[in-house]
Amino acid sequence: MAADTANEFGQVSRRVGIAFRYLLLASTLVGIVTLGFLLVYVFNDAIQPLSADPGWHLTFFLTLVLPGLATGWWCLQRGYATFTTGLVGFFLPVLASLYSGAIAALFIDVIPTLVWLAFVVAFAVPVGVFAILQQPTVDLPFLANVALIGGSAIGSLLVIPGLIQSFPTVPSGWVVLLITLGLPASLLLARNLSDRWGQRQGRIAGLVAFLAVGAAGPLGTATGFGAIPAVVLTLFAGVPTALYVAIVVTERPALRHGLLLPAVLVGGSLLGAALVSAVGFAGPESWVDWSFLTSTVQSGDAREVGIYPGIVGTVLLMFVVAVVSFPVGVGAAVYLEEYAPDNTFTRIVDVNISNLAGVPSVVYGLLGLGLFVRYGGARSGTLIVAGATLALLILPIIIISTREAIRSVPDSMRQASYGMGATRWQTVRNVVLPRAFPGILTGTILALSRAIGETAPLLVIGAAQVFGVPDSWSSTIGAMPLQLYVWASTYASPEFYTTVLAAGIVVLLTAMLTMNSIAIFVRNKYQQR
Amino acid sequence: MMPETDADLTRRTFLAGAATTGAVAAAGCTSNNTGTEDSGSLSGDIGIAGSSTVFPLSVAMRKRFVEEHENVDISVQSTGSGGGFANYFCPGDTDFNNASRPIKSEEVDQCSGNDVTPVELKVATDALTVVVNPEADWFGEDDCITVEELKQIWSAESKPTTWNEVNSDWPDEEIELFGPTDASGTFDYFIEAILGEETAHRTDYQSTEQDNQIINGVNRSEYAIGYLGFAYYSENTDQVTALAVDNGDGCVKPSLETAKSGEYAPLSRPLFTYVAQSSLTKEQVAEFAKFWVENTTNEEVVAGEVGYVPNSESEMEDAMSTLEDAIDAAAN
Amino acid sequence: MSGDRSTEGLTRRTENSSRELLARAFFFGCAALSVVTTLSIVVLLVFEAAKFFAISAPLVGVTGETATITEFLTGMEWGLQGPNLGVAPLVAVTVMVTLGSGLIAIPLGVGTALYLSEYASPRARSYLKPALEVLAGVPSIIYGIFAVAYITPALSTFFPEIGFFNVASACVVVGIMILPMVASVSEDAMSAVPDDLRQAGYGMGATKYDVSVGVVVPAALSGIVSSFILALSRAIGETMAVTLAGGSLAREFDPTNIGSYLSLLDPATYLEPGMTMTAAMIQLLTGDITGGGLAYRSLFAVGLVLFIITLVMNILSDAIARRYKEAYE
Repeated sequence: MAADTANEFGQVSRRVGIAFRYLLLASTLVGIVTLGFLLVYVFNDAIQPLSADPGWHLTFFLTLVLPGLATGWWCLQRGYATFTTGLVGFFLPVLASLYSGAIAALFIDVIPTLVWLAFVVAFAVPVGVFAILQQPTVDLPFLANVALIGGSAIGSLLVIPGLIQSFPTVPSGWVVLLITLGLPASLLLARNLSDRWGQRQGRIAGLVAFLAVGAAGPLGTATGFGAIPAVVLTLFAGVPTALYVAIVVTERPALRHGLLLPAVLVGGSLLGAALVSAVGFAGPESWVDWSFLTSTVQSGDAREVGIYPGIVGTVLLMFVVAVVSFPVGVGAAVYLEEYAPDNTFTRIVDVNISNLAGVPSVVYGLLGLGLFVRYGGARSGTLIVAGATLALLILPIIIISTREAIRSVPDSMRQASYGMGATRWQTVRNVVLPRAFPGILTGTILALSRAIGETAPLLVIGAAQVFGVPDSWSSTIGAMPLQLYVWASTYASPEFYTTVLAAGIVVLLTAMLTMNSIAIFVRNKYQQR
Repeated sequence: MMPETDADLTRRTFLAGAATTGAVAAAGCTSNNTGTEDSGSLSGDIGIAGSSTVFPLSVAMRKRFVEEHENVDISVQSTGSGGGFANYFCPGDTDFNNASRPIKSEEVDQCSGNDVTPVELKVATDALTVVVNPEADWFGEDDCITVEELKQIWSAESKPTTWNEVNSDWPDEEIELFGPTDASGTFDYFIEAILGEETAHRTDYQSTEQDNQIINGVNRSEYAIGYLGFAYYSENTDQVTALAVDNGDGCVKPSLETAKSGEYAPLSRPLFTYVAQSSLTKEQVAEFAKFWVENTTNEEVVAGEVGYVPNSESEMEDAMSTLEDAIDAAAN
Repeated sequence: MSGDRSTEGLTRRTENSSRELLARAFFFGCAALSVVTTLSIVVLLVFEAAKFFAISAPLVGVTGETATITEFLTGMEWGLQGPNLGVAPLVAVTVMVTLGSGLIAIPLGVGTALYLSEYASPRARSYLKPALEVLAGVPSIIYGIFAVAYITPALSTFFPEIGFFNVASACVVVGIMILPMVASVSEDAMSAVPDDLRQAGYGMGATKYDVSVGVVVPAALSGIVSSFILALSRAIGETMAVTLAGGSLAREFDPTNIGSYLSLLDPATYLEPGMTMTAAMIQLLTGDITGGGLAYRSLFAVGLVLFIITLVMNILSDAIARRYKEAYE
């Protein structure tokens, strides 16, 4: 960078230069510091840390903060890699627990497990047909394959859901999740670990994972935690954490001391919590508490309202938007980068996409309103309309970032693949996409995190101001930012602004910042490749 | 064929173990499939839109109803009475439309064009309140304003920019105006009661469907004036001052009593909700309608929690019989 | 497009197998969807807005209230009761918000970019760049709430006569929102200036300040200007922050009178409420969504104006970046 060599030359009148440098630094920090102040204000209003007993603060200081800092410093001394291992080991279970909470909410309140089972089985049929057709002993022409798979998909989707839902006896909730999610996850785990550790170890690991998830069900029922939340938590948070710990311990033993950091942090918080409840210190009167997160009450009373319908709505929207926009966005980018000839049409599409990325989100809302509600006939404010509109909104972003990722794949790899006689599709599938995948993933996560913060399109397509938890494609849906807008406008009172609204902001920001951090983590991790 | 290796044995054992576990789990932890919902409880969707004045009342009713019937999904929107009729209720998208004024004949026509029959149910009485900043001291001891002065302030013809253009005793400061949008029933009612049909409402005011914004705006600006439903005022009596209105018979302050007795004129008005007759065939809609009508006499909710005058027993019975007739008519 | 010419020969033989054709068709369909989206936006906006204007309404069979184009562009008031359908008041407030936020974002953004590209150590940059990304990632609804809850009270300590709704706090938060955009695009442009130019400057005895201001900035000027235009176009399209903070007062504005334009530069007007185009659209929504009423049609008319403005600005910014970009390699 140009900074290095300048000092030898800059002997003439340094005062202006120094003043200028600090002026620039100040201007850089203005925005960041202002936002920092605002965030501190909001967190203070939401969590009210100063309202806790001094004893509470002292206890946690002694059990959590001090040991945590000491362990962290100790890990840093042993190397930066040890420190990051510890950080990952801490944030992985924490974030995974948050997200598994959201997924559990889906299965508890939105999708009855029976319906889930029905659709999973219906999808498994064409997948099974696909697997059979892959066998070398079966050799049908390509189009026949397509016809068979397509036909079986349509047939099973029409017949099976109804069939399964009419069975007199069905597996109960958590067993369905065990079979549909736990079993494939364990098999995948076993296969991947077999590559790393050898077949026997891999299979044992898979079996252990499966049994752990299976045990969580009755355990959850017995302790009152709930079978479904227990299963989801174990599967999405427990198993990945255990996997990470196992990998660190076996493959990178030098770094395993880093795992002390999460152990100390978690142990410290538990110890601190036990102590404060035993002694009776009052914690902060935080507005972000369990009732805020799970209450479905919508009213003007700050103590009763909750953000739960908003959370569920946001999670659902995120899934719908991801499912719709990811394939289409990646497909469009692949076409533009790999297949498109260099003619006017392609150039028009190029310009078109970068303009679409700059269109205000309100106009996308108008598009959704006109296209889906007015001319498409869907009811305003429903899940399909909202999902489709938001998917269109982030489509240009996904296309642009995927193109960047694909462009970063060196041409030499493509040439090598073509040189070996591969077709274009084979090259894309086996060389380009796997290599560009981390970049694509980063771009998609960032685009999704933008989508869940959008309010204007939801307002334009007619989202309701008071809404419940959705249970079908055509139920009215809300989302966290929409809930914040309703609170800020319809129930606007100074009291609301500093209490419930602050809490809502904290929840929304947590969701978005965690998503952004994951995206940046993925980007940084794979950038070294 | 090669002899069986260790790996094969392990694989077979693994598969056998997994299959057994799965089967046992599936068999041992099953439940009877009684369908996706209990047959006993109510379920379904209800869509409500319309007046921002009646909005808090419908939200309060929704809250209580949903406590008893968890599977019913009720969504509420505050769009203004006219907006609700034109764009949700008459096209058949919502089941209820709240209105702070009676339905207009052209709206009835629009509805019947779409086979929607509105059933009028009176749910409360409101005292449409005119509010000013607590520091505004030029209205005299009794905080009084005459209907004439109100008309002058809000009419499009006179459009005064400062207070003393209306009344020379008042300060020479710019008037800041807050009020509902033209989609609002409160807006329509204010025109009818204060301005009269021939005078247009001025357009250079801060218009919003969110009545709390009117409170916020008036509270922050010493020379502001606004009008809104009584419920929003009664929640914020410390933020704004309600003006007493002189209709020629002396200054009358808005309150639940003066609205009930009709003394607070001309700004006491009935509040309605209209339910689509065809929607009443849906069990959850009929149940909710009955629940709401029954609770219109509930002082704790209507007066205490929300801030409107509850129906009297006879008003409630009238509404209930209208509703029951409509439910019968819908079923046939 | 990558390596197309050179690999054309290698894939020609296998191009026409059905699997390849299916894959190609699928990808083409996805790309075509983006074109379909743009076309839909344009067609929809034009078609629905056509129902709003008097000359085109009969063509599409609408007989309700309409406005002439002159009325729309030169009318002094905006309010559906009259109906007064002049869009100039809304555009005026939009311009105010854009000016105010640009005033904040442009100097600070260029300063940030300059610091990051010329002065910051790699370590500082590794902290500051993610911090700027966070700034850019906060949703606008949260900025709107910040404006009402924290910025307006802060401003009222300096300007006690400020109203609850005011354009100034909207300007402040929108400025913070678009600052990262100015910073990152400008910084890209500045980093792209080859080091030789800087070295040449130092070789002639210039200080770092001279080099930064006299060499780097002019060399990267096209990118910097294009970042301004992009950021301002984002400010124009910003909805939630201005809706919550700015209020809903459609001030009178006479486009034929020079005095009105001068009033946009008067700081006192920034302390008063104002409704931008986007805020007006949100307000229209509460009244009219699915009907064919005047509010619905004016929604699309205003939307069309907004779309045209942002489209023109995006194209302009792209053209400036490409056309005036100094080629050094």
